[in-house]
Amino acid sequence: MADPILDVRNLSTQFFTEEGQVNAVDSVSFTVEEGEVFGIVGESGSGKSVTALSLIDLVESPGDIVDGEIWYRNGELAEAVREDSPDAVDGTAVDLRQLSPSARRSLRGPSFSMIFQDPMSSLNPSLTVGEQIAEAVEVQRRASANPRSTRSRTQGYGLGSLLSGLVFDSREFVRSESRERAVELLDQVGIPDPEERATEYPHQFSGGMLQRAMIAQALAGEPDILIADEPTTALDVTIQAQILDQLAEIQAARGMTIVLITHNLGVIARMCDRVGVMYAGEFVEQGSLEAVFDRPTHPYTQGLLASSPTVDGAEGRLEPIEGNVPSLVDSEMPDRCYFADRCPKAMEECLDKPPELPVEDGHSAKCYLAEQEYDPETALPEGYFDE
Amino acid sequence: MSLARFLLRRSLQGIFVIWGVVTVVFGLRFIAPGAPENVLLPPDVSEATRQQVAAELGLDQPLYLQYFDYIVGLPVGDMGTSLVTRTPASGRVLSTLPATLELAIAATVVAIVIAIPLGVISATRRHKPADYGATLFSLVGISTPNFWLGIMLVIIFSVQIGWFPSSRRPVGIGIDAILADLVALQLEAAASGLRDWLYYITLPAITLGTYFTALITRLTRNGMLEELGEEYVRAARAKGLPETLVRYKHALRNTLIPIITVLGLQLGTLIGGAVITERVFRWPGLGTLIINSIQARDWPVVQASIIIIGVGFVVLNILVDALYTYINPQVGEN
Repeated sequence: MADPILDVRNLSTQFFTEEGQVNAVDSVSFTVEEGEVFGIVGESGSGKSVTALSLIDLVESPGDIVDGEIWYRNGELAEAVREDSPDAVDGTAVDLRQLSPSARRSLRGPSFSMIFQDPMSSLNPSLTVGEQIAEAVEVQRRASANPRSTRSRTQGYGLGSLLSGLVFDSREFVRSESRERAVELLDQVGIPDPEERATEYPHQFSGGMLQRAMIAQALAGEPDILIADEPTTALDVTIQAQILDQLAEIQAARGMTIVLITHNLGVIARMCDRVGVMYAGEFVEQGSLEAVFDRPTHPYTQGLLASSPTVDGAEGRLEPIEGNVPSLVDSEMPDRCYFADRCPKAMEECLDKPPELPVEDGHSAKCYLAEQEYDPETALPEGYFDE
Repeated sequence: MSLARFLLRRSLQGIFVIWGVVTVVFGLRFIAPGAPENVLLPPDVSEATRQQVAAELGLDQPLYLQYFDYIVGLPVGDMGTSLVTRTPASGRVLSTLPATLELAIAATVVAIVIAIPLGVISATRRHKPADYGATLFSLVGISTPNFWLGIMLVIIFSVQIGWFPSSRRPVGIGIDAILADLVALQLEAAASGLRDWLYYITLPAITLGTYFTALITRLTRNGMLEELGEEYVRAARAKGLPETLVRYKHALRNTLIPIITVLGLQLGTLIGGAVITERVFRWPGLGTLIINSIQARDWPVVQASIIIIGVGFVVLNILVDALYTYINPQVGEN
């Protein structure tokens, strides 16, 4: 197997709130292969969106990436970086965490791009859809004119022209070639009458059409990795399938890598090659789609599967997982398996935090059940965690 | 809805508003003490003369006829005759209006030039010294009364330092004079006119504009903070847009949409609210005229002033709404 395009090691992102330090992403490690769809699944508050934002360096205050490495394989970038910071380069891979913020920003577009959950609020209501996509094209165009410089992205377009643009018309930044490209992109994501629609504002679009426009915008920089954060959650069920098909089509046509974040196991089953299951800021189980879905090892994964309606509509009641996701506030986090208090198979061992244990080749879980059978002898009595 | 239909509808509404203003203003005269004819006459005049003067002014007519005459005169600009100068009241008001407009616009310019950059800096350096400074400034600015600030500025900058005048602005200095010089290509005269104009208007404009500046600073800061937290800002960053563009093209644009409304409406308030500032600086504007006319019981001029301020307010309102539909695409559609 070739080296992964993304190798994330011990990534931790924390939020410093009034209630204390919140460990939204807690020492997470995973790899993403080039050209695959990697799914991250979990409940709300499990840290999957923050993981995504950490990858693209968009964690906002009061949050911060506090630890870990994000190795991204890109020969060109490695060459460019090697001279100035050799420590950040390993072969053809670069540790993004060691790059400057401006260098990381310059990767948004050509290396990473992202689509968000709610297309309605992810586009600026007072600019036309075409203008916003053209901006994304224009940024890359200006950057590629001088790849080493991050300043070139605004070349000749400083604050002065921006402010005058506010009063007159702010279209100067974007040149007409980029505008034409934006129309092409809209066409590629299946928007009828792209020329006409490019001149319309977001509120004139339906949700599904807007999400297509968002995809077009994300494709503007020809990214290596597309991060899709709940891309279908805000859409009607019928539209969801169309958007997923669209993503699959683009992925196949361009060999693009997709990191797909969702709470919906159906979406994971439909789209992904490999999947990681997140709980309380950790990856509790990861492996190929088939391994995780057919041979779930972590009781949380098992519970998640049992609580979701199956695609083939098999009979049987859905079984909810009892209890709630823990708060993730550092001072309240127990020194044991975070799931033990909800786990139907909690054992005495679980009072020690389990490490990531291999289940089979390419399939691992943070659970002692990966290497031993459930032993009712050592099971914790019911109500053990109730104060 | 087309712009023409919108303007027509709003203008019709505006006419009703102005009618209401006219009626209230007409009624004020009867609440206030002192009969108008007494202004013109010495106290020891005979009752016959008094009645004769009242008849000349039309004050012997029944109330509804006086009201009717007044209303009918308005569309052609007849607002009665000043009791003091015996010239048309509308003429007196219109001759002082430019000075007040100059002051109001200068105050607005001061506000825009200072407040919007200050608000943006404050929002983008949240919880840093610049932000605290700007917040303190807006707090002080909002809570400082106009008359006190004006007097303080005069004491410091006119009396103590002597940078600006404390005397009344002489006739012949104003935007109209500068424009006339420019049209006549007398550039030197225009430049010196501009210098004089700035010399006289700076302190009044700062006095009148401070509250407004503080208010807009606050609105800009809060609006900007709100917009910068929106998801479209994150999405704009995600596509690699430089921070300058994210802030000034995306966030500031949406911040300014509501602020333009406030600016427009506030300009109307400034025209009517310049009275105190004009008084402090003896500015030859509408506010001074209103106060002098009230003291002289020159009711036609007071009425004309208030009606013209009302008309200005209504027109500005309509213009601001029209502008709003133009800059905010979401409203334009509906």
